Amino acid sequence: MKVTEPLIDTGQVDLAGFDRALGDPADPAALLSFARSAELDRGERFPADICRELDRMGLPSLYVPAEFGGALTRYDELVAALRAVARRDLTVAIGHGKTFLGGVCMWLAGRPEQARELGADIIAGAPVSWGLTERGHGSDLLAGETTATPEPGGGFRVHGEKWLINNATRGTLLCLLVRTRPEGGPRGFSLLLADKRRLPADRWRPLPKVPTHGIRGADISGIALDDCPFPADALIGEQGAGLEIALKALQLTRTACTALSLGAADQAVRLAEEFAARRELYGRRLVELPHVRRVLGEAYAALYAAEIVSVLAARSVHTLPEEMAVISAVAKSYVPTRVDELIAACGELLGARAFLTEVHEHGAFQKLERDHRVVGIFDGSTFVNQHVLINHFPVLARGHQKGTADEEAVGRTADLSAPPPPARLDRLSLLARGGCGFTQSLHTASGELRAPASAGEVPARVAELAEELTNSCDRLHRELALIPPASQDVQPEAFALASRYEQCFAGAAALRLWLHNRTPGEDPLWLEAVLTYVLRSVRPPGQPTDGEVFDRLFDARAAGRPASPPTSVVTW
Amino acid sequence: MNIPESAPSDTDLRSWLRARVAHYVQLDVADIDTTTALTTYGLDSVYALILCGDIEDHLELVLEPTVAWDHPTIDALARHLEETLAQGSPSGESR
Amino acid sequence: MIDETGSRDAQAGIAGPEDDPATAASIEDLAAATIDTPTTASLNDLEHLFGDPWDPDNPTGHAAVLAADEAGEMLAAGERLLDGYGLNAEFVPPELGGRLTRLDHLIEVMRVVFRYDPCLGLGYGASSLIPAVNVWAAGDERQRRRMAEVLLAGGRAVSGYHELAHGNDFARAEFSALPGDDGRLRLNGRKEVIANARRAEAMVLFARTSDAPGSRSHSQLFVEKADLPAGAPVHLPRFHSAGMRGVQLGGLEFRDCPIPADAVLGAPGLGMETALRSFQVTRTALPAMTAGILETGLEVTARFANERVLYGRSLAGMPYIGSILADAFTDLLICDCLATVTARSVHLLPGETSLYASAAKYFVATLLMDAMDALSRVLGAQFYIRDGGYGIFQKHLRDLAPAGFGHTARVACLSTVLPQLPRLARKGWLDDTQPPAGVFHLGADLPPLPFERLSISSGGRDSLSASLSAALGSCELDGELRRLVLVIAAEQADVRRECAALAPGDLTVAARPEALRLAARYAAVLAATACVNIWLHNRERHDAFLSDPRWAVAALGRIAERVGRDPGQRPRHVTERLSAEVLSRYRDRRGFGLSNRRLPG
Repeated sequence: MKVTEPLIDTGQVDLAGFDRALGDPADPAALLSFARSAELDRGERFPADICRELDRMGLPSLYVPAEFGGALTRYDELVAALRAVARRDLTVAIGHGKTFLGGVCMWLAGRPEQARELGADIIAGAPVSWGLTERGHGSDLLAGETTATPEPGGGFRVHGEKWLINNATRGTLLCLLVRTRPEGGPRGFSLLLADKRRLPADRWRPLPKVPTHGIRGADISGIALDDCPFPADALIGEQGAGLEIALKALQLTRTACTALSLGAADQAVRLAEEFAARRELYGRRLVELPHVRRVLGEAYAALYAAEIVSVLAARSVHTLPEEMAVISAVAKSYVPTRVDELIAACGELLGARAFLTEVHEHGAFQKLERDHRVVGIFDGSTFVNQHVLINHFPVLARGHQKGTADEEAVGRTADLSAPPPPARLDRLSLLARGGCGFTQSLHTASGELRAPASAGEVPARVAELAEELTNSCDRLHRELALIPPASQDVQPEAFALASRYEQCFAGAAALRLWLHNRTPGEDPLWLEAVLTYVLRSVRPPGQPTDGEVFDRLFDARAAGRPASPPTSVVTW
Repeated sequence: MNIPESAPSDTDLRSWLRARVAHYVQLDVADIDTTTALTTYGLDSVYALILCGDIEDHLELVLEPTVAWDHPTIDALARHLEETLAQGSPSGESR
Repeated sequence: MIDETGSRDAQAGIAGPEDDPATAASIEDLAAATIDTPTTASLNDLEHLFGDPWDPDNPTGHAAVLAADEAGEMLAAGERLLDGYGLNAEFVPPELGGRLTRLDHLIEVMRVVFRYDPCLGLGYGASSLIPAVNVWAAGDERQRRRMAEVLLAGGRAVSGYHELAHGNDFARAEFSALPGDDGRLRLNGRKEVIANARRAEAMVLFARTSDAPGSRSHSQLFVEKADLPAGAPVHLPRFHSAGMRGVQLGGLEFRDCPIPADAVLGAPGLGMETALRSFQVTRTALPAMTAGILETGLEVTARFANERVLYGRSLAGMPYIGSILADAFTDLLICDCLATVTARSVHLLPGETSLYASAAKYFVATLLMDAMDALSRVLGAQFYIRDGGYGIFQKHLRDLAPAGFGHTARVACLSTVLPQLPRLARKGWLDDTQPPAGVFHLGADLPPLPFERLSISSGGRDSLSASLSAALGSCELDGELRRLVLVIAAEQADVRRECAALAPGDLTVAARPEALRLAARYAAVLAATACVNIWLHNRERHDAFLSDPRWAVAALGRIAERVGRDPGQRPRHVTERLSAEVLSRYRDRRGFGLSNRRLPG
């Protein structure tokens, strides 16, 4: 379908209209359809036409902050828009959304006119890429060997290869992390904006498309620079500040990337639900089998937990910027991992239909399963993000003990009725000195449940779960305090603690979301399900979890009763 | 455990089988007809195997596990069991 | 390592790491440790035919296998190699001229094939094995002879159970074979997602042969393509798939197609029974063969960890990476123990295999998939790339998917085990009759495969489970391992108590998830029982690794965690011993399974 007026533009972000315009992927005539996606995936072709339509709808302007000419004023809106695209086709979302990643360093550190210029390019539809990684070094940014040698008359000469870069070839512009001190080190790297339109054509070349397991149509490639001259004004931020800027930028991009997982989860749940509702087995419909209802009920709880973490992390950019080092690491580790599990569970219901590439909505499920595995890998893998979290154990433990949380800011994050205050990107920090407000304020949050629970307004069970989570979280922080400061020999136990911390965070976020958005008489079923879901991984072994709440959640959704947290916005 | 002193009478066996079937399909005993195929009550092939195990334990016999596949109503099953008991369990030895 | 004098570290039962550098095993030890079986020679032949998987010019190495996968074709060089080796003979009993004497040997041979290329494993191997076993289990003299002749001549067989609309519920299959006017059977209907449908000379088809309800209305038909009228069957278009891309999945459609009257396997109406009996062999064998995928996964990941430097140090040296390698290796050993014991039980306890085969299929497939997922996270971005040095990993990961849903989905396996459990709880588990010790003796002689004695119900007997408490009676079992066996025994007692209380509605496909979970917990206890008994019964093998209790400690700990029990803190040296073993086996080119065999290359 053709859209004449952009739905996303400066001062006007019509997310519902955008979602409607994307259409129902089961309809082969929709812009993003299962049929078209399958065809592109088979041919390993970039969804260029679809991306052009997204450009026309105005999606790129959501990648540019309003102050630089775009429509981005709320990071939760960015998450919602990317999720809407990912819900239809993850490859498209990854291929288009990369431009946000490519621009972030500029928004954080660029000169205003430099940023406005990039903003104008993006809004005009120029893809922007972000070149951090190199062959053989993976996530180890300090090992980067692409060098930029300052030239006597200003400018740089850049030599080396950036590889395994999304949109490296399609991108008109690339934000590159380069070594500007031969000895490297934390102050030895800088960021340069490569504008291919201005670089001498004989000094750079794209590297071939890398064949990938999923997102087969995406442009995963690289760029080789051969003593390529860059003008002085290509520098983003201070020389030597590249690593710090990139690490702060990653706090924003990792948060935004969780939207990709949410879209994948939306699609997986839909495909599994529809299959279970239609499929006849053993003389009944699949959906009548108790274990199938349980699997779907648990999938809803997993999806809710993931979306609550994702959406509140995005709002935290506005309200808790100092904590984003922790919050973004939690979100990027937690959300893709839970969604990988959710996809596996739904896939088991689908059986052969999760394996065949042409049956059941054109083999959408197997594509989605392959595509989504990249989300836990790129932009900092789960391993890397848990490492960041482990590095924060001492401050988390200290902050938890002191209880210095800004509870009002936590409340503003969770209260969806009010738009968040403007983002203060200048307050992002590589270390969340005060720890994390969500987990610190669990005591207050579960305390607020006590009165309504004793008044019978809230099931006692929910208050008990909140209490248990609070106690578990306290116990966890006592364990965090015992972990020696992260050396390079991080023991496996530390990773297990990081996973538990993430679950506590998710539970705390869910509790906050309910407290700040509840309406009188509302059944807190989704909260009970999410708390049960997270506690299952937090409880010491030997304390089995009763899963019947997931059955009630399934029944409620099947009956069309409202049972979703207010972060759920799914339409098709 | 029910240890039969002597072989149970045909009626005993029938009513015991009816009770077992009623138990499995969660219906009232009165609703179980002894001439109706067990599959009609939703006793599929797997259930038939369970029923066989119950009968073995009840009568202290060893039976072919498929006994309820081959004698698919309570009447047919009871008749077969009667014969088996009368012949001194040809399809297996008493345990 | 356990002190030879018999004095043990009473507290831990296993000594600290300083006593046993992982690299201590000498080459002599290893040679002696190799489990000597009559097929060792032929296994080595097969390995050498396949050659060094990492050699880029090897026509059956990883590079060639990947290229065939990309093209969606079977690896032609691999098929020729297996023709030359006469792989089909492994599927044919000796009295019919083949080499199928023992299930554990068949598994070892097929595992080599799966390690190189799962498409060959399924498309050349398992897809012919499944119909063949049906014929061995229920066919008459002529049918058995003909199936053997087809296979020994290098032909292919297919089995037609699956209809997309009915999945694992094959009792509702619509495909029918009803008598026509001339008395001959007429085939009508379609079978879908059938490997090698177009290439097969012989087929075993599952068909409704009576309109009556119940379990006596289906039969298997042994049909040779040469006996069909021209134009039959109609071949459906190929089904393309995300994994096993080289395997040609097709479909067969018959329209009023006459077949010879003697096509029925056994007597009419025995179809369900024959399927349930012969599936015990194939549900045991297939997941066990598929473990070759995890072997390759471990090898690729160990190679990556060994080569990769991150933050200035080798990935292999990072404790967390080491623990993931150790856990995946432990899971492989658990799979091996359970699969081996189950395979040996088919020979020694055929009456009880209905229980073990489905439990093993569920548990082994689950462990394999989880372990490959965990390893993929070590590889990170390298896992996601389809070419280059580690591209073979993602192919193996994709090829593993059918282990979960193919040849009976995992949940359907649990539904097979579950109805048997209440009776065991009331009776069988109170009986401590022990299995023959031979089920645990790796490589020991076995009687011929008793196809005719496989039964669709264990009749309330479960002697393997009884061997858990017997293990506790062994004075060899002490320290950490004894503590963990007690944890598993507590789980076993809980499972028994809960099974005794199951309601009738919980024994059907409509079972509550908690009831299905009981079958899964039963399978986990069975796996732990296999592990501890494999350790107890094979300590005299001069395999320094196998006789070290640490692998069993790790295995029982992993299993306890899986069923939600607290295994306690695993001593660090246990994990380190296992991760060091992974790396040393990688460097010495040895297999990662129980057999610890040397590999070519």
